[in-house]
Amino acid sequence: MLDNKDKKIIAALSEGLPLTLRPYQALADELGISEEELFSRIKKLKEKGIIRRLGGTIRHDQAGIKGNVMVAWIVPQERLNEVGQKCAGFPFITHCYVRETAPDWPYNFYTMIHAKSEDECLNLVKKLTEELALKDYELLFTKKEIVRRMRRYFSEEI
Amino acid sequence: MHQLDPLDKKLLQIIQDDFPLVSEPFTEIGARVGLSAEETLARLKKLKQKGILRHFGASINSRKLGFVTTLCAVSAPAEKEEAIAKQIAIRPEVTHCYLRKHKFNIWFTLVAKDWPAVEKILEEIAKETGLRPRHFPARKMFKLRAVFHIADN
Repeated sequence: MLDNKDKKIIAALSEGLPLTLRPYQALADELGISEEELFSRIKKLKEKGIIRRLGGTIRHDQAGIKGNVMVAWIVPQERLNEVGQKCAGFPFITHCYVRETAPDWPYNFYTMIHAKSEDECLNLVKKLTEELALKDYELLFTKKEIVRRMRRYFSEEI
Repeated sequence: MHQLDPLDKKLLQIIQDDFPLVSEPFTEIGARVGLSAEETLARLKKLKQKGILRHFGASINSRKLGFVTTLCAVSAPAEKEEAIAKQIAIRPEVTHCYLRKHKFNIWFTLVAKDWPAVEKILEEIAKETGLRPRHFPARKMFKLRAVFHIADN
């Protein structure tokens, strides 16, 4: 179970660490605990898988990775595991999920593809259709990012 | 696009990896590229200011905290798509919202405390916009690793 300090740590880290020489000390001071206690709590939260990763996320479009397409595929039920594992192995695929469908939306498998340009995305999709032997898919190119943010956790209860 | 020099690129690569859990993490990171902690921090602050470094902290597995997530899609009239997307994105439960080149032109993800909360939010969006989002909860995740290879080699 998470105690109140853990919740405060999760809330603070999802908000962000300060870019200062001793960022953990700054956070520990804020929470009124020692840096050592903060380290040990963060370690435990990582072991439990609650903290997936500590570090930075970048705006890939600003860093030269301009192409971005979400592809929704129809994958036969019995092939989902095989296709999912193959897709997870491709470095240009950053997200890969099996999802529920709707009556007018039979696509059950989603991949997010990032590349330097839209043309390169299309080449990668073509390569995927060949390697995975899939033919039914929808291309959902990004037109504009409206929002991308970290969810705040526990901010209302602490 | 901003001009990134090779050191910026290396730092952006390293900062996407697991961040060291030590008292002076930037000293350690700087050492890997031959910079002092101060130089490293100055570069990262600049990258943060420019918005290239979007977030620096922890990515949290919301499911492990008992939250549920789902991907939602809306088909909005083209001339209103941005206004409607902004109206949707204002909710704190919406973590991603994109306009996409498709008949379903607004796609967003929700992170909510449980499924009834998801239904309630979708209901509210339907009332506000006159458009009922459909949503596709994940059955299985094979990969979630938004780390981008930007270093020159």
